[in-house]
Amino acid sequence: MSLVIEKMTSRERVMAALAGDPVDRPPVCTPTNVATVELMDLVNAPFPDANRDGEMNARLAATAYTELGFDTIAPYFSIIQESSALGCDMQWEQKDNWPTVRMSNPIWKSSSDVKIPSDFLEHPDTKAITDSIRILKQEFGDEVAIVGKTMGPWTLAYHVFGVEPFLLGTVDNPDETMKALEALKEITLLFGQAQIDAGADVLTVPDHATGDLVSGEYYRRFLLELHQELEEELSVPLILHICGATVDRMPYIAETGMAAFHFDSKNDPFEAMAAVNGKIRLVGNINNPTTLYARGPEDVRAEVNKALDAGVQLIAPECAIPLKTKLENLLEIPVAIKDWVAERGRN
Amino acid sequence: MPITHEGLAREFEFVTRPGERKHILEGIDGTAPILQELAYELIVGNNTDVDRLTQEALAEGFTANELLDNGLLNGMAIVGVKFRDNLIFVPEVLVAARAMKAGMAHIEPILSASGAEPAGIIIMGTVKGDLHDIGKNLCIMMLRGAGFIVHDIGVDSSPQDFIDAAEEHKAHVVGMSALLTTTMPNMGRTIAAFEDMGLRDEVRIMVGGAPVTQDFAEEMGADAYGDNAVDAVDKAKELVKQLAELKSS
Repeated sequence: MSLVIEKMTSRERVMAALAGDPVDRPPVCTPTNVATVELMDLVNAPFPDANRDGEMNARLAATAYTELGFDTIAPYFSIIQESSALGCDMQWEQKDNWPTVRMSNPIWKSSSDVKIPSDFLEHPDTKAITDSIRILKQEFGDEVAIVGKTMGPWTLAYHVFGVEPFLLGTVDNPDETMKALEALKEITLLFGQAQIDAGADVLTVPDHATGDLVSGEYYRRFLLELHQELEEELSVPLILHICGATVDRMPYIAETGMAAFHFDSKNDPFEAMAAVNGKIRLVGNINNPTTLYARGPEDVRAEVNKALDAGVQLIAPECAIPLKTKLENLLEIPVAIKDWVAERGRN
Repeated sequence: MPITHEGLAREFEFVTRPGERKHILEGIDGTAPILQELAYELIVGNNTDVDRLTQEALAEGFTANELLDNGLLNGMAIVGVKFRDNLIFVPEVLVAARAMKAGMAHIEPILSASGAEPAGIIIMGTVKGDLHDIGKNLCIMMLRGAGFIVHDIGVDSSPQDFIDAAEEHKAHVVGMSALLTTTMPNMGRTIAAFEDMGLRDEVRIMVGGAPVTQDFAEEMGADAYGDNAVDAVDKAKELVKQLAELKSS
């Protein structure tokens, strides 16, 4: 029987869960983002500015803890901060749409083009994140886990080379693809380390080698070793995030040595737990577009219960949520977790 | 054994559903060796050979329709099945699509000049806020191959962009794509915009994209969900028929 610690801060709970240690209840986590338009209005920190200004960013990010009752604060809302600093063609959008990289206008063609600007960490769009982490650390550092985010080399490759040219390259010239990924990994490390220095307790590493695009074998061939290197070189617990169907690559992901894997609702939580076989913790996997966006708290609760019944260690939306997600659905996640734990205590 | 090309016969074995085997076999059955070779080279993504074989076959007197229906589309049908069944993934589909384009570069001008009646008019775009277009482009390629006129309005398309294009081209079908769970709700907003403008009965609407599901499509009020590019063609044909029935009733 595992020891249950009665009173933990959110930070203690998250760090313990990521280490595989006992927790008083499973944490509710945001490895990606839970900012919504309602929360932007509440703290007067709208997109796109909240992505680009450290103080505004921190104000919006903190609502995950102060308004929603989550155990983490994740200030990097999108997936594009590094790409902007690298010089990608950006579309910053409006309050109710995500900023994005115009991948049809790639900035680089090959691995030899990969050059990290000397002022990369001073660029406003990377600095906004490290500034925000410093603010959040000072304000909430003892209470809540601050989750930074650094994009993995595969996702960076989509942005700088364009999705189609990059994927075609994996067939036409896989050695060149490996060289490019090796070079891009340095950006992941650089920005990750900067966030650790600023005070991040945990880093999410999104690297979208999703089953919707590439095979599990691709993950093993191109990314497993690179992800193991990230784990070795970055000193905080890492949460790998890959959207879509990923069960076929979870046995490989379990070999990365990372603390946790953030998985999508396309994967059954029971199958996912079996696939990782206790070698990595799982974070997830409440469906965003149907359950959190379009349905109600009862459906949210059912998905939370299913994930908990399966043994998923940290509960979270599957990915960055639609910006018009209803708050009542997000608020239901921590409530449902507490009820599930209470129910188990009674039985 | 009607498939004489060894490689194509091997590829055909990946098709296991009886209905699909019958459908694809009917297309290949008894076709000339060069058309079978064309289908095979497309499946393995050899664009140089598809380019060469297409030119050779045209020079030998095969028609553009024969090359398309009995060669390239058979190849793409097998690619579609392998993709759906997770035997291949997007990179392998992209090299096949590149090969298809190499063949279509010779065939399309001939088909366009023939003035044949199109299977329908379709608007295709990726929804607002989403800049991904690989899936949409694959669908467009397959739809054009199946005889549809497709107007591609590109990525990041607002509800008004879809409405304007549908009205301008008198479209039968509007197809929306999304890759991100964060942008999928814009499918619902676009459908609502068609309703608000009183245009919902003028077109049929289909949706697709990696994170999109049948449930989500129904929730948003779409008329059809296409699971992949081959399915999108079948759904588009059904929707054109459905619209004609709706308008004649």
